[in-house]
Amino acid sequence: MDIQYVRLEEKLPPREYKSSLESTWCPGCGDFGVVTALTRAFSDEKLDPTALSLVSGIGCSSRLPLWMNAFGLHSCHGRAVPAAVGARLAKPEVPVIVTAGDGDLFSIGMEHFPHAARRNFDMVVISMDNRMYALTKNQVSPTSRTGYKGSLTPYGNLDNPFNVINFAIASGATFVAQTYAGNPKHMTEIIEAAIEHKGFAFVNILSPCPTYNKLDTFKFYKGRLVDINKELGHDPSDKQKAMELAEHDYDADYNPDAKVPIGIFYKTEEIPTFEEKVEALKEKYKPENPETVWDDILSNYKV
Amino acid sequence: MASFDLTVKYAGEGGEGVISSGDFTMKAAAKMGYEVVTFKSFPAEIKGGYALSQVRMSDEKILSQGDGFDILVAFNGEAYEVNKPLLREGTVLIWDGPEGGDFEPEFEELEKKGVIMYAVPMSQLAKKEVGAYITKNVIAMAATFELIGMPIELLKEEIVAKFSKKGQEVIDLNFKAIEVAQKYVKENIKKVDPYKVPGPLPKKDVIIVEGNEAIALGALAAGVKVYAAYPITPATTVGNYLAPHILKTGGYVYQAEDEISSMAIVIGASFSGVKAMTATSGPGISLMQELIGLASMTEIPAVIVDVQRGGPSTGMPTKHDQADLFAAALGGHGDDQRVVLAPTNVEENFYLTVEAFNLSERYQLPVLLLTDASLSLRAEAIPTPDINKIKENLIERPIVRKGEVSPEELENLFRYKITDTGISPFLAPGESPKPYTATGLEHGENSYPRTTPKERTEMMDKRFRKIKNIEDENPHLVEWDLGDLQEGEKADITIITWGLTASIAKEAIQRLRNKGIKVAALYPKLIYPLPAKAVEKAASMSDIVLVPEANYMGHLAKFIRMFSSVPAEKIVQYNIYRGEPFIPKEIEEKVEEILGKKVQA
Ligand SMILES: Cc1ncc(C[n+]2csc(CCOP(=O)(O)OP(=O)(O)O)c2C)c(N)n1
Ligand code: SF4
Repeated sequence: MDIQYVRLEEKLPPREYKSSLESTWCPGCGDFGVVTALTRAFSDEKLDPTALSLVSGIGCSSRLPLWMNAFGLHSCHGRAVPAAVGARLAKPEVPVIVTAGDGDLFSIGMEHFPHAARRNFDMVVISMDNRMYALTKNQVSPTSRTGYKGSLTPYGNLDNPFNVINFAIASGATFVAQTYAGNPKHMTEIIEAAIEHKGFAFVNILSPCPTYNKLDTFKFYKGRLVDINKELGHDPSDKQKAMELAEHDYDADYNPDAKVPIGIFYKTEEIPTFEEKVEALKEKYKPENPETVWDDILSNYKV
Repeated sequence: MASFDLTVKYAGEGGEGVISSGDFTMKAAAKMGYEVVTFKSFPAEIKGGYALSQVRMSDEKILSQGDGFDILVAFNGEAYEVNKPLLREGTVLIWDGPEGGDFEPEFEELEKKGVIMYAVPMSQLAKKEVGAYITKNVIAMAATFELIGMPIELLKEEIVAKFSKKGQEVIDLNFKAIEVAQKYVKENIKKVDPYKVPGPLPKKDVIIVEGNEAIALGALAAGVKVYAAYPITPATTVGNYLAPHILKTGGYVYQAEDEISSMAIVIGASFSGVKAMTATSGPGISLMQELIGLASMTEIPAVIVDVQRGGPSTGMPTKHDQADLFAAALGGHGDDQRVVLAPTNVEENFYLTVEAFNLSERYQLPVLLLTDASLSLRAEAIPTPDINKIKENLIERPIVRKGEVSPEELENLFRYKITDTGISPFLAPGESPKPYTATGLEHGENSYPRTTPKERTEMMDKRFRKIKNIEDENPHLVEWDLGDLQEGEKADITIITWGLTASIAKEAIQRLRNKGIKVAALYPKLIYPLPAKAVEKAASMSDIVLVPEANYMGHLAKFIRMFSSVPAEKIVQYNIYRGEPFIPKEIEEKVEEILGKKVQA
C-alpha cells in the first residue's frame, strides 16, 4: 500500500510558504529560525501549500501555523498530536507536520505522543524546545534543567529533565533527530529527511527563548553542538548507540565542557506506517459491489 | 387496543444466560411478526450480581418497557426476592424447583395473592438430564416457549445461529436441553394461566436493532469516515457495532488513548474535510469539553454521542440516568455554539444520528446526541431504513473546491466570511484553493487572530447567527402530541419531556386520554438550543406543565425556566433518579394526583 503525498510539479520559493500575518514572537526568538527552515524544506520537498497541514497546540511555538501559508490547525494545549492523527486518518495523501512546544508535547500532551509514535503514523512532530514554558511567562517544562528558576520554582527546579530523544525512540518513533534553531542549514536538512521519512518522525529543535530562558541560550549552545552523524560517524540504524548518545546532553547540566548532540539518532523504515495498514485493510474489505453494501449491512439485522 | 401484549422477564445472576434468554426470546417474537421492546439491566461487574432481561411483545406498536411483567422466570433466589413485591394476581412465576434451585417461593403467601407458580427444575435438569449445567438458561427458555406457545423451532434457529461456529456438539447439547425442557413441561405442568402468543402475524420489512446499533447504522448511513473513541460503558458498543462494517464503506474505527484524543481526532479529521464522530458517556464528555469548545470556535463539524449513565463521577456505569443535559449543552467555557439532540426510542437513535451529521454539516458546529443506558440496550424491530432517501437528503459541507472560483473570487474567499446566515465557505486541505489556519483564538474573517471589541462582537454574532433560527428551520425536531384536542381548546395538563422518558410518557398519556383526561404533550428532540416557541405554545395550552425526567435536578425543567417565557409557577418537576427508567404507571398516577389535588383545592 504505497501512499504518496500530493506534490507540486515546480518548486515554490520559500517565501510563498509564509503568510502575510506578522508574527508576535519576540525579536531574537529561536522559533523564527524554525519558520525559515520549514519554508525552505517545504520548497525543496515541493509540498503544495493547499495540500499540507500544520497542526499545533498552544504556546508561543504553537502559533507557528498562523505565520505560514498552508492549512493550519491551531488546536488546544497538548492536543496537537491527536488532532494530527485525525488529519492523517482522514487524508493520508496530505502531509501533516506538528509544530508545538516541549511543554505542549511532553507535559499536558504527554499521553498522546507515545501512542502516535508506536503506531507509526506517517507524520513529522517538531518540538520547539526552549526548555521551559514561555507563553505563560517562565515556568519549568519537562525538559527544563535541574536548578532552572521559573516563576513557580524561584528556588530552582527540583526535577530531572526528561530525555525526549530516548523517550521518542523507546515509544517506537521510526525517525528521531535533534537540531538547533541557530543552524538553519542543519535544521532544513533534518526537516527534509523527516518529511521524506515514511513513518513517525520526531525532530527536537533546540530553540532558545531569549526573553525568559537565560541559561539555554544561543551563547550556551555555541561551540557545544556535535553533529553525531558527520563528526562522530553515528549510524542511525544503531538503536543502542543512539540511546547512549542521547544521554550526553542530559549528563551535561551546565558543565562548561558539555557537548550537545545534534543529528539523526535513529531511523528505520522497516516498519509499515499506520496509514498503510489502514489502507490495506480498506482494500481487503472493499465490497465487491459498492451498490449493494448497504443491503449487505442491513441483512445482518433482518428478522 | 392491542389484542395481545405480553411481557416475559428473565432474572438471575449475571453471566448465567439471563441476557441471552431475553435476546433469543425477543428475536423469536420479532420473527413471529410482533412488535418488541426489550429492557435489560445488569451490574457493571463482568460476572455475578443481579441481572434482568425483559421482553415485551405485542401485535401493536409498543411505546415503553411496560409497567411490569406477566411472566417472571427466576433463575435464583435473589431474582425471586427482588421481584417478589412485583408479583400480583395473575402473574406467572417460573422458578428453579421444586428441587435443585437455591430457593423456595413462599407458596401460601403467593397463592393468596393469586400468583400462578410453575416449578421447572432448571438446574437439576441441566445437570442430571442434559449433563451440562451451562444449559440451564436454555431449559428455562424452552420451558417458557412451551408454556406460552412460542414455536420451539424459532429457539432452535437462534441456537444454530449463535453456536454454529462452536460446532455441532454444542448445538446438539442445546437441542437436548430443549427436548428435556419440553418433555418436563408436558408431563409435569398443567397450564392455568391465560398467556399465549397468537399465530404468526404478516411479515413486515423490519430490522431488529439495539439502541447503540441504531446509532452505528445511522452513522454509516450518514457517511462517517473516521470514528475515534475510548471504551466506556454504555457507549462502547457503538464502536463495536461500527467496526465490522465501516471498512466496507471506506471508513475506519480508531481506538484512541483517551476521550481527549478521541475528540481531537474527530476535529483533525473533520478539519481535513471528512465526517467524523465519537461516542462516550458522562465521564468522557467531561474530558472532551475543551475540545468541543474548539470545534465550536473553529466552526468544525463534529458529532459526539453521549450515552448517559448514572453520575456524577463513576456513578452507576450500567444504570439509567438523564442527567447530562447541562453538561452536554452548557459544559465547557465561554459562549459556545453547539446543538444537542435527544432521541426517544431506538428508531430515533438511527434517524437522529443522521440528523446530527446533517445539522453539524449545515451549521458547522459540534452536535451532541444525548441518549442513555437503557436506550442503548433496548431492542426494537424498526422499519428497514430507506438508504437512498437518506442519502438524497444528506447535507453536505460547503467545501469550496479548486477550479470552482475565479481569481477575483479567490481574493474574497474567507473561511470565516461574515454572512447573513452566519454560515461560511469551508476550506479543506487537498480540496480547496486557499489555505487558512483554524484557530481557537478569536479571529477575523480570514482566520487571523483579532481581538478588537468590534471584531469580537461581529464574530460572536456571526457564530450565534447560525443557530438563531434553528427551531424554525427544523420544525421536524419537535414532536407534538395533542390527541383529540381541538385548536384553541384547553388541556387539563401539558407534559413536556425528553429522551427515553418521552416514549414512556406516551404510553401513560394514551391511558390518561382513555380515561377522558385532556393531555397536551411536547417531545423536543432538539433540546438545545431549546425550541422555546414550541415549548411556550405547549405550555400555554394548560395551567400545569409537568416535566418528568430521570434526574435529580430537573435539567429540562430548568432549561424551560432559563430559555423560555413559560411562567415558573406553572412548571411541575417530576424527578426519579434510582437508576431505572420511569414506568408508564408512575406518570399516569402523577398526573392523576396533580389533577385530583387541583379539583379538591
Ligand atoms: C488547558 C490549558 N492549560 C494551560 C494553558 C496555559 N498555557 C498556554 S501555553 C502554556 C505552556 C506552553 O509551553 P510550551 O508548550 O513549552 O510552549 P512555549 O510557549 O514555550 O513555546 C500553558 C501552560 C492553556 N492554554 N490551556
Ligand atoms: S517569550 Fe520566548 S519563546 Fe516566546 S516568543 Fe518570546 S522569545 Fe520566543
